[in-house]
Amino acid sequence: MKDRAVLAGWLAAVVAITFVHDPGLLAGLLLLALAAQGARAPKIALRALIAVALVNLTVSIAFVASAWLSGEDWMLFVLRLNLRVFLLALLTFWMIRHVDLARAAAPWPALQFLVVLTLGQIRSFTTLLTDYRMAFASRSPTRPPLRVRFGSAGRQAAAMMEKAERQAEELNQGMRARGFFDERAGTNDRT
Amino acid sequence: MHIPDGLIAPQAYLAAAALAVPCWAYAVRRVANALDERAIPRLAVLTALAFVLSTIMVPLPGGTSAHLSGMGLLVLAFGLWPAFLAFSLVLALQALLLGAGGITALPVNALCMGLAGGAVVVGVRSLFGANTSAWATVLPVWLGVVVAAVLLALVLGAQPYLASDPDGQPQFFPFGPAVTLPVIVLPHMLLGLLEGVLTWMILGILDSRRAAA
Repeated sequence: MKDRAVLAGWLAAVVAITFVHDPGLLAGLLLLALAAQGARAPKIALRALIAVALVNLTVSIAFVASAWLSGEDWMLFVLRLNLRVFLLALLTFWMIRHVDLARAAAPWPALQFLVVLTLGQIRSFTTLLTDYRMAFASRSPTRPPLRVRFGSAGRQAAAMMEKAERQAEELNQGMRARGFFDERAGTNDRT
Repeated sequence: MHIPDGLIAPQAYLAAAALAVPCWAYAVRRVANALDERAIPRLAVLTALAFVLSTIMVPLPGGTSAHLSGMGLLVLAFGLWPAFLAFSLVLALQALLLGAGGITALPVNALCMGLAGGAVVVGVRSLFGANTSAWATVLPVWLGVVVAAVLLALVLGAQPYLASDPDGQPQFFPFGPAVTLPVIVLPHMLLGLLEGVLTWMILGILDSRRAAA
């Protein structure tokens, strides 16, 4: 329940913030959000700053340059963009820390199952990919040529595709053996 | 290439959400009908695959790299609707677990990259029929990536026209299509070619392994 409330609150806040255009109000909301983080504020703020820095800097510098060339005001837009994007990123990292997606999906068993299976499979594929990368690095004392690195990227993806096909079938058989689909059919019959 | 939160006006992302929701509902029905009880495990594995594929770095000349979107590969291997659903779930997980991309921009990203880009891949690939040459894979994937990039550039470029204050100051992304189209599309013309070649290689490796098994 708590996870769903936090998720819904975050989503509502994100949408609401996109309707706020006054830099003063955005700055006030940002200070409020930072204060709500307590002792963790510097860490989360740094994470959010790193996440948005590239996009914000690029857009801001380009806008300042074009406004300067045409003699227009740039301060309002730069403040508005940076405060809003930073505030949204800050709220998102706060949400990530407080929400367990699997628990948030609890009222919808099929969705919850999909989330749990997907997260487990991501871990499994990431391990396979890391193994491939480390094996490739250990076989390459010097930097391999572009063609070899391209071939390695292709083989990594092909290995994952093969594993995906096998795992989809294994998961299906495992779920069937444990009666998951019978339970769902029974649930559907009762409702 | 996907857009983060805070750069898209509500007029654009709410309209995109209104368009994306029925598309997602249709995709869920198509996948559930086609795969019945296998839908959940299949979709979970496909989503995880798409998530991790997007972390595979495509080497670029000069020692840099870009990441694979995996959309062309997923569409050619599993079909448009499962790939669109998996790709949308990946975008949601990236936004909700990593803070990458954005939740408000998700419908725009999913429609441009997952649905429109994927449909182009399927449509152009069907023109080649049973042809299995490299071009029958590279060209559809390249066009899919380029069309997705053009659509995203147009959506971004529309922001100053959709939302500006009375003084003419932009409220969201500030540059029009004259800037966004070349800045976004030109690099994706190269990235799309690399992704097309890589997709062709991956499908070739898979075919040869299946033939050997």
